[in-house]
Formats: sequence, C-alpha cells, structure tokens
Amino acid sequence: MSVKHRILDGCDVETFMLCNDLEEGKALGLRLMAELGFEDADVVFCEMGGPGVRIRLRGYVYRPSADYRWYGLEVE
Amino acid sequence: MEQEHINPARPRKVVLAPLDPVHDVGLKLIRRKLVDKGHNVTLLPPDLSPEEIVSRAKSEDPDFVMISRALSYGTSELLARFVDLCDAAGLRERAKLVAGGLSMKPEIAQELGFDAGFGPDTPVEVAVAYVEGEDVDLSNGSRQQTKVDLTAGFTYKFLDSEIGSLCTGIARQLICWANKRTSPGVERAHLRTAMEAERGCSPGYGQKLRSQYASLSSGEVKQWYCTGKPVSHTRPITQKEAGEIQSLSRKAGSPAFPRSQDILNDRNVFVQYGTGCPVMDAYHIYLSTAWGAKGVIHFDPSWGARNEGLLEQAWSHEHDGTVLTLDNLGLIKNGLIPGTMWQVRAHRGLNTPETVVLAHLAGADLTKINIVYGSLGAGTDPERLAVDGVEAMKLAARYNLPYDVVTNEELCGVPAAKAFAGMLVVVTAGVLLGGRPLLQPLFANSPEGMITGFTEHNFVDFNVAKMKVLFSIIDAPIWPGAPVGFLTQTQDRSQSSVMTALHAALALDCGAAAVTIASSDEAYAGGPITAPSRIDTLKATGAALRFFGNGGISPTPKAEAIAHELREAIAAVLRQIAARGDFVSSLYEGLLGDREDGAYPGRSGKGTVSLKQ
Repeated sequence: MSVKHRILDGCDVETFMLCNDLEEGKALGLRLMAELGFEDADVVFCEMGGPGVRIRLRGYVYRPSADYRWYGLEVE
Repeated sequence: MEQEHINPARPRKVVLAPLDPVHDVGLKLIRRKLVDKGHNVTLLPPDLSPEEIVSRAKSEDPDFVMISRALSYGTSELLARFVDLCDAAGLRERAKLVAGGLSMKPEIAQELGFDAGFGPDTPVEVAVAYVEGEDVDLSNGSRQQTKVDLTAGFTYKFLDSEIGSLCTGIARQLICWANKRTSPGVERAHLRTAMEAERGCSPGYGQKLRSQYASLSSGEVKQWYCTGKPVSHTRPITQKEAGEIQSLSRKAGSPAFPRSQDILNDRNVFVQYGTGCPVMDAYHIYLSTAWGAKGVIHFDPSWGARNEGLLEQAWSHEHDGTVLTLDNLGLIKNGLIPGTMWQVRAHRGLNTPETVVLAHLAGADLTKINIVYGSLGAGTDPERLAVDGVEAMKLAARYNLPYDVVTNEELCGVPAAKAFAGMLVVVTAGVLLGGRPLLQPLFANSPEGMITGFTEHNFVDFNVAKMKVLFSIIDAPIWPGAPVGFLTQTQDRSQSSVMTALHAALALDCGAAAVTIASSDEAYAGGPITAPSRIDTLKATGAALRFFGNGGISPTPKAEAIAHELREAIAAVLRQIAARGDFVSSLYEGLLGDREDGAYPGRSGKGTVSLKQ
C-alpha cells in the first residue's frame, strides 16, 4: 500500500514559491500538487509578499464517505 | 524504563552536569524541583570536559549523575566517551547515569549505556520521578478523561432584579402560550419515543407508528419512509465501515495523549465534528480528544433542519454534516474515548424536540436549544420553533440533559443586546421548566462589533463586556461559542489558530464553564476540515493557556462601559417585549432583531402549529 493511503484525509503542503504575482503563485502551487500525485488538490491560502507567495496547498486523499484504504489498518 | 523501587522519603545525592559550553537551564529546573523535595543536589558549571565531570562527580559519591546536552554535533561520540570514563572510574558501581537535553533521544541514550534518557519534551517532573524511583512512562501521557457537570454550583438566581422580573414574566407567557399548542415536530418526538421503545420487540416493529411518522414527515425524508429511496447524497453505512468504528472503539479504550497537551486536562474545550461520514467523524473525534478536547459536538446536515422528520438506520453523507439518526449516533458513541462529553445539537430546525429524544436515547451529555436563533438566524418559523423549543426544553428537563442557548444570530447582524435578551428569556423558560441551560454568547468580531467600533481597537473589550454583563444578570454557567473567534479567522492557518486560541484563552480567563473552538480550517470553504487542522487549534489553545497562565488578560476601561451599555439595552428590549405581551409576536415584529439588523423570521414550518385538542 502506498504511504499516501496512511493519510487520514488530506495532506497539506506549505512553502514559499518565487513568482511574480498571486495568480502565478497559485498556478505554480497546483502544478506542484499535480507533480506530487495529488489529483484532488486546492489552494487553501496564498499571500503575495516580496519575491513570491506563502502558499498552503491541500491534496485530499480521502474526502468523507470515500472508500478509505486504511480500513482495518493495525497501526503499530 | 523500569527501576527498582527507591524510597522517595530518603534524600538522594544527585550530580547534575551540562556537557555543553553554556546550556544548563534544564538542569537548573531539575535542581530546583529536587532541592524542593529535599534531595542533595550538586550542579556543576558548564564547559567542563567529560574527564572533569567524572572526576568531580566521583568525589561526591552520588546516587545519580544526570548530564544534559543541547548541541547536536558530536553528541553520540561525547556521550559514549562519558560512559566509558564513568565505567573506568568505577562511578557506575553506585550511581545511575542519565542523559537528557535538546539533542537527546531516549533510545540512543540507552544504546550508549545510560540507565535512562530524557528527550527535549520531557517534563521536569518526569526526571524528578525517576530519581525518586517512581515508574515513568515516557512514551505518552495518560489521563483519566472525566465528564464534568458544566452546570454544577450555579443557582440560576437573577442578580439583576429588573431583568429577572422581566424575563420571568415573558418566559411564563411563552410557556403558557406553547402549552396550548402542538406541531408535527412535537408529535414526531412522541412517536419516536414510542417507536424506539418498540424496536426489537416484535417482527416488523412499529409499522403502524412508522406509517404515522411518515405522514408527519416531508420532502426526501418522507420519500425514504414511503419508498425507501435514499435522501440525495447519502448512502447506507457498509458492514466494513461499521466494523472500522468498532475496531477504533477498542483503540479508544487506551488512547495515547501527547504530554504537550496536558494543560488542557482541566479545561473544558469542545470541538465540533460532522464530516458527513461516521467513520471519519470517529477518527476526528478520537484524535481531537487525544489532543486535549474534553467534549465533541455533533453537526448534522443543513437539510436536516428544513425537512420534517429524521431518518432511521446508519448513513454516510457526501457533504458537510453527519446525518442525525439513532444508529449513526450509536456508531459514533462507540468511538468516543470514555469520559468524553458529547453534545447533540437540537437548536434550529423542524426536528428540535425529536433531536432531544435521540440525544437522550443515544446517551449524549448535552444538547442545544434556542428558539430565537433558530427563528431569526436559521430559517425556522418563529411560531413553530417556539412550540417545538418549549417541548424540547421540557424533554431535556425530563432527561436531565443540560443544553446551551446559543446566540449565533449575532452573525446575521443582530446586536448583542437583542440576542442576549432573547437568550435570557429562553434560559428563564428552561429554568422554569426544570432544566439546566447554559448561556452561549458569541465570542466574535460580529457585524455589530465592526459597525459600532466595539472591536476597532481590540477584540478583548467587547467579549469581556459580554461575560461581565451576563454574570452580573444571572448566576448561570456561560459557554462561549460557537465556535469562538467567528469572523476573526482567515484561511491562513497560523493566523486562524492564533485567533481561535486567544478567544478561547480569553473566555476561560473570564470564567467560562467551557469553550467551543473551531479548526484552523474555519475560514476555508473549499473542502472538508482535515485532521491536522483540528490539532492546530488545540495545540494553539494549549499554548495560549500556557502563555497567559494565571496572569490573566486585562481589558481596557471600555469593557466596563460596554457592559453597562449592554445591560441598559437588554433591559430596554425586554421592556418592549413585556409591553407587547407576546413573545412570539415580538419575534415576528423584530423586537429581538429586525430586517435592518439582518434578522429575518424563518419560513420553514410556517402554518404547521395547531391548538391542542
């Protein structure tokens, strides 16, 4: 099982991205999430300051009511 | 980490030594505690070589040699050499060697030959306990989660005689008016009680009652009772999902509590859940209580308030809000850590009395009822909710179920004075009916706060004023919510967590019996709340409580002025309602919030109230 399926619901990625404006920052963020393999991704927070954006991205691995693959997992 | 029992009454000889050029704060803290407990402690200065430490320790003939290391470079080599030197000097024949500090990991210390190792988050008390021979579990904290009666010790006596007299008169009129009326919601509550009493008693249990129930239902709920077609965006819970919650409930019997959150042990911090999926809810509840939440609050879908009737069986819902059924509540209850307080809300819609019945049958500890908020801020017809709300309060009293009376109509723009006047009338009615209500003022940057300038210079004064005025009016418990910090949080999780934590700390500092906090996702509308965002605000609240400690938070003199202003305005609203002579008419006519304020009498359930036969 991929480690990703140990994530209970969503995975946030927070970073600072160098960019020219807010929209570019958001677009770059979503590209990053796609590159990381998150199909259900969103920008939770993005703020431009200085050379880029402080951005918080979220990839939902499981939304509520999904068929969670961590069922029956015995966590040691 | 076990050791033989040592008589704690016997003073121990302890040598403390920093294996660093400067850092010895941790050792100084340990020294203070050990000395306070009568032990004989020698603290060596920083910047000694391992050879010097061993030589000076040997001359003390200690029971324990405790060294600390904050710097990370070369730590393993240095500690290994220290152990070798102690062995060579014969120091270990009598003394136990202990290593701690920022760069320490307990397992590495033991691998290197120390008798014990304490990591950076280890409380001083743990090191002291080790010296005194007590068993120490370093893996996780443990606590006995205990339920608290949030209403204990309150007399519900009015301290403000004018407001008390006005509230009592208005509440009596409301009860008298409601006693003559009934509604489909009231009738379903009684049917549900009968249906659940019959459940399992006979094959095809309660078919006649279910048919009656269906005739009193509406919309997709009625459709489900009549045809079995599920409500949109819901599906039945599978065996696998129910099994997962059962499995989680076994883990919840012996949960791990992060020590960093011990500060929340004696605070009543509540969090809300309602992801739509009882399995995900169970996990969120489990981790929230592990990180310090004392109680959890069930959020149902918004359509649950607008349809007549509640479903049966266990359901998963694809959107916000977990479907309110006895089966769903039963599943969720299974996953609660023993001792967790549990609130099932019944405050705003067409199923208010029946929700109180379900809360009681499911074993909830608290519910939530407010006629005024549900009527003016949540879309239910005032007449209908007055009838249902009074019935719900009667049921809550019968079941000995406390409930909060929330004032979230302030979020629509209703001034606090009007919201509080309504809350005080409902609380008074609750007390007259034999119940134990809690006052729930909003702790937020409400529209009124922004418009009047009450929150222009700080968020402290207005909130403190609310607590002051309510405590000066009635001796009743106050539980700010719901959740605290509304309209102050943003999508930035740092900012959101700080705002939540400061509001929570302020409420508790003001004497709140409990507080409800949001997650750091409070202002994010793009998807469900995630588990880490719940931990964010619980951690932040713990940090804020640690920061303020017993130092308190001081408002400016403006708080007193606002409190005085609020008191006068509350009394003025109550005088108007008393003069009108009819509480329900007052709701329609805007005395407790009008269209200009942003309050609109709801329309759900309009025309469904009838006089009792």
